[in-house]
Amino acid sequence: MPGGPRADRRDFYEVLGVPRTATQDEIQQAYRKLARQHHPDVNKDPGAEDRFKEISEAYDVLSDPQTRRRYDAFGPDFRQVPEDVDPEAFRRSRAGAGAGQADGPGGAGGFGAGPGGDFGGINIEDLLGGIFGGRGFGPIRGADQETELELTVEEAFQGGHRSVTLDGPDGRRTLDVRIPAGVTNGQRIRLAGQGGRGSDGAPNGDLYFVARIAPHPRYRVEGRDLYVDLPLAPWEAALGTSAAVETPRGEMKVKVPPGTSTGKRLRLRHFGLPHPRGNAGHLYAEVKIVVPAKPTDEERRLFEQLAAVSTFDPRRR
Amino acid sequence: MAYALVLVRSARLSLEAFAQTTSTHPDLVRRLVALGVLDADRDAAGELWFAPSQVAVMGRVQRLRAGLGLNYAAVGLVTDLLDRIAVLEAALREARPPGR
Repeated sequence: MPGGPRADRRDFYEVLGVPRTATQDEIQQAYRKLARQHHPDVNKDPGAEDRFKEISEAYDVLSDPQTRRRYDAFGPDFRQVPEDVDPEAFRRSRAGAGAGQADGPGGAGGFGAGPGGDFGGINIEDLLGGIFGGRGFGPIRGADQETELELTVEEAFQGGHRSVTLDGPDGRRTLDVRIPAGVTNGQRIRLAGQGGRGSDGAPNGDLYFVARIAPHPRYRVEGRDLYVDLPLAPWEAALGTSAAVETPRGEMKVKVPPGTSTGKRLRLRHFGLPHPRGNAGHLYAEVKIVVPAKPTDEERRLFEQLAAVSTFDPRRR
Repeated sequence: MAYALVLVRSARLSLEAFAQTTSTHPDLVRRLVALGVLDADRDAAGELWFAPSQVAVMGRVQRLRAGLGLNYAAVGLVTDLLDRIAVLEAALREARPPGR
């Protein structure tokens, strides 16, 4: 029901965060502060537009002492109440209307709102002129919005679809976002026309999803390159071996040359994240020598033997 | 529902076409160019031409003016600052180590 009164409409004083006794100066001060904070061009969050609209509505009513008095007397439905109604009579008639009816649409105790929240042909959107419309401004394109989209390394690698639910002016909406394969951290995915609403028929803004690659238990990501630990036993590192490495494309064998120390990177060319218009990144297996925490007697004996025989000093300069 | 990427028309807009698209007066558009709020190219005859991306810029100018009551000179300052913040935020996102 666009433009009609919303059942969940908050109290205007609450919206501006001021007490009912606030002075006009305090109301203006609160509004200015909130408007700067939630203006859709300052705050890219998709929820900011609604909040800004709510703040503007509240200010429109409370900034004018006369409408404010009517709002105080008759509540959120004050626009339905004719100018000459006595607040006391209104309160009495409302109390008499019965609890079941009082809060429903058109429940203003017999003052006759039209169906569907249309107040005798006057639509509240027309009164307020939308958020940016009717104050001498023509149709204005909606603001672009931005929200973060957390992706797994696997999603960034393969691409795919993701259902994202966002709160909007017409309730929650679910968008199907196509994630291109090879999306990198910080890249923006655009959904044309899904941003802030344009006023008076002007086009909507765009909605941008900013990709954020979530921490992964195995892979570290730098641009399109992936890094993965390759744990080796001391003898594998010393003698060389062939070891299995997990990659997003599946398990791969890498040849570890003899004499490989911790920190050495073995490159798997183009096994990183794909590039839609170029070469894929690389995958680097970083060697990490690991010793048995509790060696068997035999292992200990052999290590001791090696220690006695070897002249290798890793700290020699 | 899937959304396709939308191709933006690359044709430049004349002053009149730009004013019509953005529902503004050409005099206001000229003033905003003079204030450096809008970017435009000037051809040999001195006519102004606008890139299609400037339509979104104009939308932002109008929203800032309508929503915060800024004058056009202040709008220029605010849009510059917002652009700088956007660049800084993007750099910050890239600097944040991902996937760790």
